Amino acid sequence: MESFFIRYRNLLVLLVILLAQIVGLAMQVRRGSSGRNTLDTHDSSGVRLIRLWAETLVAPPERAVHSAKLGILYVWNNYFYLQNVRRQNEDLEKTIDRLRLEQAALLEDARQGQRLQAMLGFQEKYIYSTIPAQAIGTSGSEQSHVFYIDKGEDAHLKPDMAVITGDGIVGKIRDVFPHTSQVLAINDQTSGAGVILETTRIRGILRGNADGQLMIVGILADERIQPGEVVLTAGGDLVFPRGLPVGVVDKVVRDPDRGAFIDVMVKPAAHLDRLDEVLVITSTQPRFSDQQQKDVATSEEVKGAEAEAIREQLKASQINAERLPGLTDPNAPQASQPGGTSQPAKPGQAPGTPTPATAPPAPKLLPTIHPDRFSPGTAPTPNTGSEPNAALPKAGASPSPQSAPKSEPPSQPQSDSQSQPERKP
Amino acid sequence: MALLGADFRRDMEIHRYPLLVYGLVPLVSLVLQAWLPRLLGPYTWIDLPLVVTVYFALGRRSPIQGTLMGAAIGIFEDALSHHAIGVNGIAKTAVGFLAASVGIRIDVENFTIRVLLNFLLSLLSSAIFLFVYRVLLGLELEWNWLTQVFIAVGNSLVALVLFPVLDRFQIRD
Repeated sequence: MESFFIRYRNLLVLLVILLAQIVGLAMQVRRGSSGRNTLDTHDSSGVRLIRLWAETLVAPPERAVHSAKLGILYVWNNYFYLQNVRRQNEDLEKTIDRLRLEQAALLEDARQGQRLQAMLGFQEKYIYSTIPAQAIGTSGSEQSHVFYIDKGEDAHLKPDMAVITGDGIVGKIRDVFPHTSQVLAINDQTSGAGVILETTRIRGILRGNADGQLMIVGILADERIQPGEVVLTAGGDLVFPRGLPVGVVDKVVRDPDRGAFIDVMVKPAAHLDRLDEVLVITSTQPRFSDQQQKDVATSEEVKGAEAEAIREQLKASQINAERLPGLTDPNAPQASQPGGTSQPAKPGQAPGTPTPATAPPAPKLLPTIHPDRFSPGTAPTPNTGSEPNAALPKAGASPSPQSAPKSEPPSQPQSDSQSQPERKP
Repeated sequence: MALLGADFRRDMEIHRYPLLVYGLVPLVSLVLQAWLPRLLGPYTWIDLPLVVTVYFALGRRSPIQGTLMGAAIGIFEDALSHHAIGVNGIAKTAVGFLAASVGIRIDVENFTIRVLLNFLLSLLSSAIFLFVYRVLLGLELEWNWLTQVFIAVGNSLVALVLFPVLDRFQIRD
């Protein structure tokens, strides 16, 4: 038995290590409700510990390499390159050399200033709370498009925070370590972001393919989608705020698996392969500057003062209205009923005719000293039978105070009509 | 390629290195692998940790050591990615074991054999990665074999340069 283990110790060690890794893999995969296997979105404590160890080992050298690269670039741009220029221009005057040296230094400062200004402008354009960070490393794997930034828990970063640049979206934070964070780029196969095409307003899901290219999947074939159309975030994924630039449509290809669908290849707005400075969106709540907050407070104060003034004016007008002599007949019946229900038939009005719910008060008419045929209330009533339709309101005509004047005693019209022939010569 | 006895080759040509080299070289390869994509972009068609695994497995000529080193480097790579831990680990474990097993039998000082071995083992590593991801785990993964061929070629070329450099760190009697 001992000789068996000694003889096959190489194979046994291999099998044990492979088996241990397979068991470990099985513990990291879950079967989803759709029947498909998926990786745990949140690492278990053991897996996270391994990742933390790896990151702790790799991050310091990566920072050192990144700093060395910046230092070399700085030295090259500020010394060696300028020395070469000086050698090539030996015949030029020393003054020009000195000016070029200063110019190069200023140019570097200007570039840095422009870059910072662009980032600042982006922050002002999208009023979210952001934290700038430097990309320091990647996963190094062709199948894993993730990269590391130099901010972590110390900067209060959390998973699922959006990472962007001044050009467009970049990815989202997948894991946070004490001083670094792992960012899942949008061109990874497991990434997903809700996007919308700016012109056609077609929505889809953005992810990466095997070559690290961006593509929008799950779109029905649509001829309106043309190359060059701008792609924006849709804002429905709870990671990226709405309206951030994603890229432009590069080309449209048919989905090889589903014939009715197409894949829209997208050219990213951000340079995903050459990332240096990025911004992490730490809050999607609007953030106002001090001046903006003062303006808002002033506006609210002014609005409040105006509203109070209007209320005072209304109150004063009501008091004045109560003090002024009224035009309404205190003896007149209530003009309206709540709800605009039908009123009892008045003289000169058809029974059941609806009256407006808020009919204005009828004017008080003074008694006629010498009534004639033009006097109110002298129109023949339906009971007289002379003009049967004269007193009926026209269909569709709204009742008005003029159409329902104060009724007069019925004896007066009769006497007037009777006296009319007597006035004729 | 001359086929020699395994015990003879093991006794005669086991390469030994300072302990620091065993720790630093894999670490440097992992750091460079993580940093190079920032320099070369999508054209980083090399897998330095794999080349280092193959080198030490071939040099030590011990399948157990090759297996352990491959597993450690692979798990480290997985930890830096967002994949499940063990996908690269299994692939590089197998590569380390095979490289050490082959190293016992053949003359690995030959440049042609080194290039060929790195090319074949790179493709094998990619195939095992794909097998584990799609078959064992049942996960969806788009795959481009052309890129893997480019990586295999890149690894072979890097090995041509890197192996002689690492040979300088050998402890010679």
